[in-house]
Amino acid sequence: MKNDWLVVFLLAGIIALYGCQPASQDTREVQKELKVAVAGPFTGNAAAFGEMIQRGTELKAKEINAAGGINGMKLTLIFEDDTGKGKEAINVATRIANNRQILAVVGHFNSTCSLAGKTIYQRTGIVALSPGSTNVSVCEGSDWAFRNLYRDDFQGKFIAKYIKNVLKELQSVAVLYDNDDYGKGLADAFTAEAEAIGLTLVASEAYDRDNTDFKAQLTSIKAKNPDGIFISGLYGQAGLIAKQAREAGITARFFGGDGIDSPDFLTIAGDAAEGTYLTTPFLFGAGGEEAGKVAEAFKADYGVAPDTWAALSYDAVGMIAESIENTYNESATFSENRKAIRDYLASLDTPGEGYKGITGLTYFDKNGDTVNKPAYVKIVENGAFTTAPLQMLSPE
Amino acid sequence: MAQFLEQIINGLVLGGIYALIAVGYTMVYGIIQLINFAHGEIFMFGAYFAFVLVTGFNLPFWVALPLSMLLCAMLGMLIDFIAYRPLRAAPRLSALITAIGISLVLQNLARMIWSARQRSFPSESLPAFFLSENAIALPGGATLPYRDLFIILLAVVLMITLNRLIYLTTIGKAMRACAQNRVAANLMGIKTNQVIAITFAIGSALGAVAGVMVGLREVIEPTMGYYKGVAAFAAAVLGGIGNVTGAMFGGILIGLAEVLGAGYISSGYRLAIAYIIMILVILIRPSGLFGKSESKRA
Repeated sequence: MKNDWLVVFLLAGIIALYGCQPASQDTREVQKELKVAVAGPFTGNAAAFGEMIQRGTELKAKEINAAGGINGMKLTLIFEDDTGKGKEAINVATRIANNRQILAVVGHFNSTCSLAGKTIYQRTGIVALSPGSTNVSVCEGSDWAFRNLYRDDFQGKFIAKYIKNVLKELQSVAVLYDNDDYGKGLADAFTAEAEAIGLTLVASEAYDRDNTDFKAQLTSIKAKNPDGIFISGLYGQAGLIAKQAREAGITARFFGGDGIDSPDFLTIAGDAAEGTYLTTPFLFGAGGEEAGKVAEAFKADYGVAPDTWAALSYDAVGMIAESIENTYNESATFSENRKAIRDYLASLDTPGEGYKGITGLTYFDKNGDTVNKPAYVKIVENGAFTTAPLQMLSPE
Repeated sequence: MAQFLEQIINGLVLGGIYALIAVGYTMVYGIIQLINFAHGEIFMFGAYFAFVLVTGFNLPFWVALPLSMLLCAMLGMLIDFIAYRPLRAAPRLSALITAIGISLVLQNLARMIWSARQRSFPSESLPAFFLSENAIALPGGATLPYRDLFIILLAVVLMITLNRLIYLTTIGKAMRACAQNRVAANLMGIKTNQVIAITFAIGSALGAVAGVMVGLREVIEPTMGYYKGVAAFAAAVLGGIGNVTGAMFGGILIGLAEVLGAGYISSGYRLAIAYIIMILVILIRPSGLFGKSESKRA
């Protein structure tokens, strides 16, 4: 019996111990800890994402500390588990906001959680930089919310256009969406664009995150005989949907958003995953030399290849660390320091000032959204994700 | 027509699974008036036990299924022995809260042992006729996978066996006696604690079967017991809690309502539709479809 969590804990422990040692070639004493919270779904239905987020952020923190920390101070990450559910995210956000040592938050991951935490972070005045929330309104109306990837209005449109303009042979699609902020928001964006560009939408069915039996919805969809099924949700349910759809005799091609971009989608769906197209905000293949190095270091530490979310989380920690490095003032109060981080991030509003990470250049618009980053298309082939032969880097 | 037929099959499979879980709730309630909230977790452990036996010990599925039933029966008795027996004379609320506690402990235990990751039986470990390609073609283009047929038949066979066990055997008679009046049964020389333990064992073993079936058809995860458990509990209440026949029909009804509701009304409200039906039945018949009214029972 493989005990994955034990391995994770042991690795985390080893890294924590390693991180506590002052780098041998560095003579400066590590004086003080700088604490940054990482909020994500470390257990629950999105735990496979959480694992990658934890590893990606830990790797970056380890590298920062090995290089002497931030202005000689050690960066410590505090992991808070929101389980991917809004209710729990409120508790987590309150706990983080009230902890007067935490300077900033990397997270949350699920859009529902980012939306739930938004008002709390706004009220207290602490930055939340999300490496994964794509719902349109995640950053809207808050000066403290940022993200380093695209929004769902872009992603939904992108997938519809890809089906229509790049793949061309599909005429009709059905949509199955997770009834939460991410799934519904993405499905809405996809549906609006699909109808505008002339794809026939034959069915739109919702499902609940905790559900594992999709036969009822799939039997209805089967009767409509669509060419493609767009699954707007997370990998777990998407994997089961793909599997149960093939069992029900549905031969349509599957499409998914970045929510299914996890190796767990492949293990859950098995053979049914074959041929699935999905969008993702980042590809290691399309990343530069720097991304390759990080991927190697990640593999050396954890024994598996990093995914998109590890990369975006890695960059999010990098951005927060850069902000702290440029603004942290030991004699200032903690709320002044939190504010300074926000002001620094908000000032990164042109390509020239943007942060150069492994996932490309990140800079923000006035909401805190990242609007410049492209979407990539992956396809499942022989049980693995590969870059789709046809990309669509300029969707217009 | 084919679509309707397939939806009915979907509903029957789900209903059969709910019925298997619901009898566990209803038998325990019938005998000690306890809503055993940990029952959903026993169901979940049933799935994990079979999964571990198949993947970890390389046992064939046909060995893993009865072994998992046996392990769950023992787990059910153990829970009764540790948590509920000391509270037999305590107010009912104490046992109820204990049940919720046990449920949380078991769910988190499963998460610690097997992680929150979703698991499913590797297809090579299963008998060939369970694979999805193998299905019976029905008139009108509908298909009935052998696996789903197996689940329905197994549920029916187990239900009939249970019914016969309760009405034709000595232990069944002892159970019915305990359900009517535990003190009087004890005075008549029935070892009530033993009968209660056997009740837990039977309910848990049936729950384990349901767990394995869900593992076959859907997925195994630590939270699976909650979602299915709540629906099965609703089925038990709909049928009249404490009544085994009621739990069987309640399970089938909730399963059909959920699937037909999701297929024809709105998939976002699938459980809501099932619950609305349950509430309507309870409003009209407060003791459930097959339940005796309180005055008659006393």
